[in-house]
Amino acid sequence: MSRYRISGKGRVDHSAPVSFTFDGKTYRGLRGDTVASALLANGVHLMGRSFKYHRPRGAVSAGSEEPNALIGTSRGKGQFEPNTRATVQELRDGLVTESQNKWPHLSFDIGAVNDRAYMLFSAGFYYKTFMWPKSFWDKIYEPVIRGAAGLGKSPTEVDPDRYASRYLHTDVLVIGAGAAGIAAALSAAQSGADVTLVDENAEMGGSLLSDPAVQIDGKPAWDWVEAQLARLRAAGVRLMTRTTAIGYYHQNMVGLCQRLTDHLDNPPANAPRERMWRVRAEQVVLAQGALEKPLVFDGNDRPGVMLAGAAQTYLHKYGVKVGDTPAVVTSHDSAYFAAFDLADSGARVAAIIDTRDAVRPDLLEGARKRGIQVLSGHTVTTTKGRLRVKSVRANPVRGTHVGAGRDIACDCLLMSGGWTPSLHLFSHTKGSLGWDAGSNTFLPDRKTEACEIAGAGRGLWGYEAVLADGAAAGLRALEGLNRAGHSAAFTVANDRPGTGVTHTELPTDGNPGKAKAFIDFQNDVTAKDIRLAVREGMRSIEHVKRYTTNGMATDQGKMSNINGLMIAADALGKQPPQVGLTTFRPPYTPTSFGAFCGYLRGDTFQLTRKTPIDPWAEANGAVFEPVAQWRRAWYFPKAGEDMHAAVLRECKATRASLGIFDASTLGKIEVAGPDAVEFMNRMYTNPWTKLQPGRCRYGLLLGEDGFIRDDGVIGRLSPDLFHVTTTTGGAARVLTMMEDYLQTEWPDLDVWLTSTTEQWATVALNGPNALKMLKPLVEGVDWDDFPHMSCAECTVAGLPARLFRLSFTGEVGFEVNVPARHGLTLWTALMEAGKPYDICPYGTETMHVLRAEKGYIIVGQDTDGTVTPQDAGLDWAIGKAKKDFVGKRSLSRPDIVAKGRKQLVGLLTEDGSLLQEGAQIVLDPNQPKPMKMVGHVTSSYQSTMGHPIAMAVIEGGFDKMGETVFIPMPDGVRKARITSTVFYDPDNARLKA
Amino acid sequence: MTNQKHQFDASPVVVEDLAPALRLSLRVKPAHRETLGRALGLDLPTRVGSRAAANGAEALCLGPDEWLIVAPEGTDLASPARAAYADAPHSLVDISDREITLRLSGPAVLDLLAACCPRNIAAMPVGAAARTVFDSATVILWRDGPTDFRMDVWRSFAPHVRSLLTQVRTEIAAGL
Repeated sequence: MSRYRISGKGRVDHSAPVSFTFDGKTYRGLRGDTVASALLANGVHLMGRSFKYHRPRGAVSAGSEEPNALIGTSRGKGQFEPNTRATVQELRDGLVTESQNKWPHLSFDIGAVNDRAYMLFSAGFYYKTFMWPKSFWDKIYEPVIRGAAGLGKSPTEVDPDRYASRYLHTDVLVIGAGAAGIAAALSAAQSGADVTLVDENAEMGGSLLSDPAVQIDGKPAWDWVEAQLARLRAAGVRLMTRTTAIGYYHQNMVGLCQRLTDHLDNPPANAPRERMWRVRAEQVVLAQGALEKPLVFDGNDRPGVMLAGAAQTYLHKYGVKVGDTPAVVTSHDSAYFAAFDLADSGARVAAIIDTRDAVRPDLLEGARKRGIQVLSGHTVTTTKGRLRVKSVRANPVRGTHVGAGRDIACDCLLMSGGWTPSLHLFSHTKGSLGWDAGSNTFLPDRKTEACEIAGAGRGLWGYEAVLADGAAAGLRALEGLNRAGHSAAFTVANDRPGTGVTHTELPTDGNPGKAKAFIDFQNDVTAKDIRLAVREGMRSIEHVKRYTTNGMATDQGKMSNINGLMIAADALGKQPPQVGLTTFRPPYTPTSFGAFCGYLRGDTFQLTRKTPIDPWAEANGAVFEPVAQWRRAWYFPKAGEDMHAAVLRECKATRASLGIFDASTLGKIEVAGPDAVEFMNRMYTNPWTKLQPGRCRYGLLLGEDGFIRDDGVIGRLSPDLFHVTTTTGGAARVLTMMEDYLQTEWPDLDVWLTSTTEQWATVALNGPNALKMLKPLVEGVDWDDFPHMSCAECTVAGLPARLFRLSFTGEVGFEVNVPARHGLTLWTALMEAGKPYDICPYGTETMHVLRAEKGYIIVGQDTDGTVTPQDAGLDWAIGKAKKDFVGKRSLSRPDIVAKGRKQLVGLLTEDGSLLQEGAQIVLDPNQPKPMKMVGHVTSSYQSTMGHPIAMAVIEGGFDKMGETVFIPMPDGVRKARITSTVFYDPDNARLKA
Repeated sequence: MTNQKHQFDASPVVVEDLAPALRLSLRVKPAHRETLGRALGLDLPTRVGSRAAANGAEALCLGPDEWLIVAPEGTDLASPARAAYADAPHSLVDISDREITLRLSGPAVLDLLAACCPRNIAAMPVGAAARTVFDSATVILWRDGPTDFRMDVWRSFAPHVRSLLTQVRTEIAAGL
């Protein structure tokens, strides 16, 4: 039995010891313990060091709001997690834990020198001190500060755990399974509604688990909880423990993070560690309760100083007495019950120091009965003890005068500054808060979502009031579903109602400027920092927060916000609501990256589309590149080849004989209907009326602004049917744009659009031998009437096909489309038939080079959304006689027809070097900087012609043919001559072969 | 219909590939819906998500002027449609190869779907279908029975979807 464990007490299993290590030392706890409760049972209060001053710290709470007791936990390789709250982490067998922010060890820490120099490290210290010299910031100040500060160690290994995701739709989601939440769920569940009740703790029951003497409807609290949970289960309510509602988003979407395996000795194989639930609830009931506030006095952070409610929880849930001689300092009635319960469990309560002059007679009577002295109208001015509190100094207060103090010996100090309703999730909804002057706290006010707030979360105190409120909230949620239910009433015996007062710093007889009275424990923010911030001109609480870092720690100010606000308001001489409250943001508690990622890691990190021919490419050593969502074969290196060599070989093989290319990713849209040709005329710049069925045309698509959006070859298969192709990346965008026009501008047209990108696998054949090779495989094409830019429905290699004769390389070319399931069959058949011609598979890089040699543009590479058809030298694709098409009017705007626009030209370097895509171009390299840039390189490749080629957009480029421009690069200035973009076979002789 | 089955031991969900079927995208204006439906022998339903079946073919309403028709391979619906084209202009596009169809079934199938599909699948009536997403892939989900679904997935998205399904099935099998 551990020294501070009370035999048989608590909800832990006294017959099930669990062993774990903390900083290398083995301890024994019990099944049901948290790391914090197990350490406290062993008399260990010192659990970590603070972030800035490296002050020794112990657990101050017993829940997820814990700012101090942050530890590293580990289960094995890659399973280390920093900043785990010891008050949340359940014990499991063999759990390895360690303290943080200490060197060389927890009880003696070099970094604690910061603490002695604390006068230097006040708010704004970094901003003021490390301003000069400026050059020191990057190399000296920042690295040193970053090295010294930081919260825990980042994991360095890949996390081997699995994380899961789940969507859930429910009628009523109740968040928090304390008295209010259980009552709300009981109300909501009575009419068959789908109800979900979640709680972040391992067990449901909330504070009732820490108040076992309370009786509800004649049953002791724990029995009542058990009975109600059984009722809820029987009614089909989904009960989820270890599940934290981390965020409340629009339209009643709530994020839940469920911890599945961290508490298990041996998790099942493949079980996810955590699961993120995205819940869409018709109605939400927020029953999150309230969080206890610390009091602000010098030495309020010493190990052994903790919240009174936490001590009560350790006692009743875990059977742990946090000390033998506790002292209590409080401004709220609730702490008396912690003192009474500890006294009743054998602790000798040194004193109850109450800041209030008048104390409720029944509480005084309770104290008297137990022999506890009550010092009403007193303040606490300091505590003593190095690694654990040893004594507390209590001073009487008369008006504003603080009298002489006396030290009261104690081994822990329980404090209560009252309770703050948990408003975090409500704040996520942007619901407004109202200041309640009576209780000096913010309460939920105007709602923006279908939610109810119940219990201590809206400032109520005492179980009877909270239960009634929870039941009513559940009923209102039912009414929101247009369902009816009965109202429930609960009778509570041994209730523990209470009230309190709110303070800024407690009054002191010492120098307040030297007091280490902490507000934000994790970020080491003291009351004096807040006052300093105000003196230095911060007026808004948002500025105070950022200047002092108050509330910016991982606990998001759960304990510190209201204390910080009260002090800032006091310093400013304003009412707290005029100073305002900072915004709470999701997640409610720190949440692992794994939970957010879910399945989106490894090969499902991002959706990757693959073509039907992808398996062949993979088996044949293709190097892939991502293009939009697709992965495409980039090039096919042979042994010993680098990219340059492979691409040059592929280019030459295609120009010399025959190349084969997987073009399946090309976007395809079937435009069908009696008004198909009219639609095409309106969408594309080109004229379509006279295009005969069986013929193709290059189509150019503009936006309303006249700039090029997309292009592709379009075949007319019948009078009412066009087979449109788009760029790979443009497929979805073009279809959406077309649908938009069709539905909003031209709903009268009888024409419909269907995406057929994935219906067809597309194989491109290019080269002087393409026709010869393909002919014997094709049936149903009249070759005498199938010139360049023709299309037909036929069979290829016995497969139903749409055959296009077109070229994106300057060689004789075809695109064979077959139903996608046959794509691989077709590819294999063509590879076989191409053997006599040394058929060469090529990838996207070769495709880019071959098209660039011919000056064919790639939309999105040679255009950037500001290029018109004229700029790109594509005027010929505009149907001049057409009445209208998308973008036509813009093409005659003054700035579009003005001289000096950037125009697409070719570039050849004088020294034969390869230019860099994106490189800027100037006319005079000797002009002073900043130079006037007249354009940039859009495409640049090694070519089959023995020298590199490039395309560029240059101001007035068409009028500068043959002129020299300059490209300043880090290693010198390149000279290049402006040429036509057509570098290869300008007369298209090869296409006519 | 089944041609490939991935059955793992004691798995509460089964994922199967279904054999190819004739799949057509039909677009026709509401005024011509009945005429064309008569020609095809299908009473084209008008409520989005509802289905109608006749002669082995099934039509799913996907939008006010959009239907998905599924029929056994070899069924000729193109000819009767062509015959009605003058009276009821429309677009009938063969998309048999655009998607592949998976059958998802078993007692835990709703959990499997809820892992990646934001829609309230449990509330979808048996006999209904819907265009929705599975993770980031657009799919059409058919509910054929309380724990029996078909999912049409665009072909290139299938590797991603299959990988997710495997992960989730493994997770479900782990029992947590």
